[in-house]
Amino acid sequence: MQSVFPVLEPESPQARAIYDLLLTVSLICGVIFLITTGLLLIAIWTGRKRRDLPRQDFGSHRKELAWMVAPVIVTLWITAITIKLILTISAVPEAHPGLPEGKQADLIVRGHQWYWEVQYPDTNVIDAGEIHIPIGKPLYVQLESADVIHCFWVPQLARKIDVIPGRQNYIWLEADKPGTYQGRCAEFCGTQHAWMNFLVIAHTEDDYAKWLAGKDADAEKPKVTDEEAGERLFFTEQTCVNCHAIQGTTATADIGPNLTHVARRKQLGGGILENSTENLALWLKNPQAIKPGCKMPNFKLTDEQVRQLVAYLESLP
Amino acid sequence: MNTLAELWRFDSPVWLPAAMLLLGYSVVFRRASLPRFLAFGLGLGLLVLAFISPLGALADGYLFSAHMVQHLVLLLLVPLSFMLALPPRETEQLFARPLANRVGKIMAFPVVGCLLGVGAMWFWHVPSLCSASTENAAIGAVRDTSFVAAGLAFWWPVFSPVARYRLEPLSGITYLFTSCLGCTLLGIYITFTTVSVCPAFANPQERIDVVTQLYDAGLTPSVDQHLGGLLMWIPPCTLYVLASVALLFRWYGEPPASSETTEAN
Amino acid sequence: MTVGLLDKPQVEPADSPWGLFSWVASVDHKRIGIMYMLLAVFFLTVGGCEALLIRLQLAWPNNGFISPQFFNQLFTMHGTTMVFLVGMPVFTGFSNYILPLQIGAKDVAFPRLNAMSFWMLPFGAVLLYFSFFTGAAPDAGWFSYAPLSTNAYSLMDGVTYWILALIVMGIGSVAGAINIVATALCCRAPGMSLQRVPLFTWIMLMQALLIVITIPPLNSALALLLIDRWLDAAFFEPARGGDAVLWQHFFWIFGHPEVYVFALPAFAMISEVIPVFSRKPIFGYAFVAGSSTVILLLSYSVWAHHMFAVGLGPGANVFFAATTMLIAIPTGIKIFNWTATIWGGQVHFTTSMLFAIAFLIQFVIGGLTGVMFAAVPIDWQLTDTYFVVAHFHYVLIGGVVFALFAAHNYCFPKITGRMLDERLGKWQFWLWVFGFNGTFMVQHFLGLMGMPRRVYTYADNPGWFALNLFSSVSALFMAAGTLVFLYNVGRSLLRGERAGNNPWSAFTLEWATSSPPPPENFQSLPPIKSRRPVWDMDHPEMADWKTERTAEDGGRRPSKALIAAWAFVASEAIFFTLLLVTYVVFNTRAGLDDGSPGDGPSAASSLSVVRTGVFSVFLLTSSLTFWLAERNLKRRRQRAFKTWLAVTIGLGSLFVAGQVWEYAGLLADNVTISSNLFASTFFTVTGFHGLHVTAGLVALGVMLWFGYKNYLTEKRGKVFSAIGIYWHFVDVVWIAVFSIIYLRALQ
Repeated sequence: MQSVFPVLEPESPQARAIYDLLLTVSLICGVIFLITTGLLLIAIWTGRKRRDLPRQDFGSHRKELAWMVAPVIVTLWITAITIKLILTISAVPEAHPGLPEGKQADLIVRGHQWYWEVQYPDTNVIDAGEIHIPIGKPLYVQLESADVIHCFWVPQLARKIDVIPGRQNYIWLEADKPGTYQGRCAEFCGTQHAWMNFLVIAHTEDDYAKWLAGKDADAEKPKVTDEEAGERLFFTEQTCVNCHAIQGTTATADIGPNLTHVARRKQLGGGILENSTENLALWLKNPQAIKPGCKMPNFKLTDEQVRQLVAYLESLP
Repeated sequence: MNTLAELWRFDSPVWLPAAMLLLGYSVVFRRASLPRFLAFGLGLGLLVLAFISPLGALADGYLFSAHMVQHLVLLLLVPLSFMLALPPRETEQLFARPLANRVGKIMAFPVVGCLLGVGAMWFWHVPSLCSASTENAAIGAVRDTSFVAAGLAFWWPVFSPVARYRLEPLSGITYLFTSCLGCTLLGIYITFTTVSVCPAFANPQERIDVVTQLYDAGLTPSVDQHLGGLLMWIPPCTLYVLASVALLFRWYGEPPASSETTEAN
Repeated sequence: MTVGLLDKPQVEPADSPWGLFSWVASVDHKRIGIMYMLLAVFFLTVGGCEALLIRLQLAWPNNGFISPQFFNQLFTMHGTTMVFLVGMPVFTGFSNYILPLQIGAKDVAFPRLNAMSFWMLPFGAVLLYFSFFTGAAPDAGWFSYAPLSTNAYSLMDGVTYWILALIVMGIGSVAGAINIVATALCCRAPGMSLQRVPLFTWIMLMQALLIVITIPPLNSALALLLIDRWLDAAFFEPARGGDAVLWQHFFWIFGHPEVYVFALPAFAMISEVIPVFSRKPIFGYAFVAGSSTVILLLSYSVWAHHMFAVGLGPGANVFFAATTMLIAIPTGIKIFNWTATIWGGQVHFTTSMLFAIAFLIQFVIGGLTGVMFAAVPIDWQLTDTYFVVAHFHYVLIGGVVFALFAAHNYCFPKITGRMLDERLGKWQFWLWVFGFNGTFMVQHFLGLMGMPRRVYTYADNPGWFALNLFSSVSALFMAAGTLVFLYNVGRSLLRGERAGNNPWSAFTLEWATSSPPPPENFQSLPPIKSRRPVWDMDHPEMADWKTERTAEDGGRRPSKALIAAWAFVASEAIFFTLLLVTYVVFNTRAGLDDGSPGDGPSAASSLSVVRTGVFSVFLLTSSLTFWLAERNLKRRRQRAFKTWLAVTIGLGSLFVAGQVWEYAGLLADNVTISSNLFASTFFTVTGFHGLHVTAGLVALGVMLWFGYKNYLTEKRGKVFSAIGIYWHFVDVVWIAVFSIIYLRALQ
């Protein structure tokens, strides 16, 4: 079940700390709003029927100083709790770009126009569109961009941070309990910025290990005719291989999403479609009709070619 | 960090100039009012603290940001306190003589104060000079003295006790704003550059057993320089804005039919 | 009081026919002000239609009504239009119309420059909107983040049109602002000391100063991006060594002060409307005026709060959070001053006052969500979502546009001589209050639901459809309110009730003349002994100067030409500073000991320091010879004056020749602007400097020609001195350029 207010339903220590700050500051702001509006309404109400010329009051420095003190104290207080939280969240030495010494990122996430690529450094696994993590353990995530600026945002789990070409950013990613968390690109990055969503799927430690083991395998040789025909299409008869990679094969291009595990994904096209045999076929038939402006052109495949390609892609591990 | 308390250095030579200043002030301005004397005491206290507190020890080749705090205290706060400590009447008399008057007038020229104040910041952050003054005590002393002197020159056109040397308030605000841009630029450079601005701080020599602690606390040289740049940038500008507010206050509070504006020229 | 001119027929002077051409050719500040406002209203409807299309597309999930490409163009154009073609012109328009009247001036300081500044705007607007006809309007967002806006990701010409339009409009804005500065400082009527100007005038002076220093960073960023796009440099292309974040820094150094360029006029207008309709003076004049000045001073130190999500590091985040909180104080405190002004007053619920009251409440909401964003971790969650969209629309519509409508209702009688219909005005008011709050209040919740901004459509997530639909429907109420507003204006122009000189019993000088004012503005001025001369005139027994003393006018006014020259030089100085910052950024990188940006030419390998040093001496000497010329002009030695001026021009030309020689050598060695980042930065900085020297030479040449015609006498020496300020400035810039580029190459 998708959460309605992800910002207000934190599922990690970091997101919870931000949520607490949000609550405190909102409360303070609410009180300030009530006070200022209340005073204003009283002033208007009492002045509405006055018909004699009011006393010409030019102001008083004493009053002004008095009402300056309160806001100053409030802002100082907000600044103080803000600074405290900034320093807590940034506790990793990440002030300057560059990995802290001896610290290897647990995950590398790369933003592309318009999908997210995920690499699990200690394994062969490269995936797209969804990030699998074990629960209860802060992961150190390295963020890079392949093209323009994107922004990595999983409201229930962590702060958002920009993903910038030419430099690396780092954040901690952690989930308290298993579940699927919605992630989005938050920085405008071109035509299909709207469909650059991703999922963070948190598993228990065991499930995560199982999942990883299942993924860490190369593509096997297809057995069924349709699959073989699809493989031929993919590698020789069509140009799929120019953009997409499949582990364990000769396909290594990094222009479109890595397709090794495409069959297991929950979504296609940055969240625009649920992943199913029909939808995958729909996508291959004409990606531009589904996600106009995306980088994959309409190859005008015949229905049979589409069926064969789908069969091949779904045969991958 | 329990060693922080051990970093106090009460044997700092700063006591000597401090004592001389105190003596000089009490002799020359015997009849200064209490608030002015307190302002002087504040300046003196800050001066001494800048050297004997752990800040002074850390500024001595360990932390660029601590050096920057010391620098700002010496260049901005100490001279400002001293400036406010000068009683108008006695200072007026001091500057009555033609030679002194000429000096006062030259110092009142805004370009001079601006160049000295902002120049001192820039000059001592040329990498080679910055390192040299950190590693060599004599050059360090010259630097610190020049900070206080440049600071006095900087505040002179704004808060000089003698009215005729002061800029008109609006010109004073322009003066402060220009200086703010001057230190902003340097601050931006130090904050965002990846080059070490003061190599002496990039590879501190372990003499008092703090380096490891600092690194553990996350104050690696790059973070340290980042912080130093921000310190050079935001606090001075905030101080300049506060000074501008004081000037505005003075301007709007000007007594009716005042002739101060004509007099200032 | 209101009877004054009611029954006298309005007779236009024969020499100012109200034909169309007389408007085009006009240099009268009132007509130019009106044209600014009409332009703004026109583009308000254009930008508003774009907004309605955006809301239509977002009304329901998975909507395919508008293509993503067109949607991106729509919100880019909506933002750009509202900022540069509505916000900037409408305030300049009000400033132009009201400010000279408030200070008892006949016109602005430079009427012809004023006309030029205005006509830059429609020119820029045509450039911007012409892009639609090329099939590719700009679509990289109103802040065009690089590298999305570079050739690699925006192949079509849209972004180029956007850059050119902004440069053109930017130049116009700076020229207009310099004019306002000079007017406020130099053209005040006798008795009007600077401490006595109405708050509108003071705050608009601050706003004009802010424009002077805030447009140059944008211009330098645009220049660099244009060089990237046209000349194949790579300032903002990380793939070729550029820096994507540099664009953000430059843009927001402009972009955040720009917010105050909008907010200050709103404060200015509210500070006029509220006292008049409360029948009291402003509570704490010095406080409101002074805090506006403080905003101006602080506005440069908060830009990085737009970049908290960039990952600048905790140090920068902490400091910018602190400065942002700091600037919130002078902005927020004013609310209390306005409330205290109403407190104990006699409140008149005119349409204008209603808008002002709504402004106060809505601006507080926008300000408080702003404080929430200054708390950095909250920004990390909510920036770039619909929460931020709601936040800045609360500031810009709930605050600024409502203040504008307050000012519009307040000033309309003065400008046209006709009253607006109050009943229609109230219709407009309530339609806008419900429409605006309905549209944007729910967007706060959409932000909390995780809806990012600038998405052309969205999946049917729980709750998104309902709130978006509500928001879209509410927008229609604003549109309806705008139609009522336009109808009200048209109706009043045709058969509105005649307004007298001072229908609102207002306090300031513009109400001491007829409505609309005659071309020369005033037949005669009342004595100015306080901040409210018209109040003093109407209530001699309670005159302000009897109780509230203000600084007397010393009578001195600085020279218009010199003030304009200094303001211009300040603006240019910031432009060059940012170019030099760019040079330093790309030529001092860690790990490259020679200071070169990687392979290819570097300062050390390509530049001849000695040769350029010699030519620099020529340029610097020319400052000295200029000074001699100026001195001789003052002493009426025309011959010596002309000789020294000719020598100055000769020396300057020699310098330019030296630069041409240097460029020729570099180009012969195949060092071009696209070679690498050293070459790009070098040619950009020295090229712009060379252009400035050349422009200075042209100006000096004109002066020399004037000299030979004997137009230039010591009385007109101020103009010459003004050019001198520019000439010396160009030399000072060269000293900086030479030290940074050439002397560093020696090391």
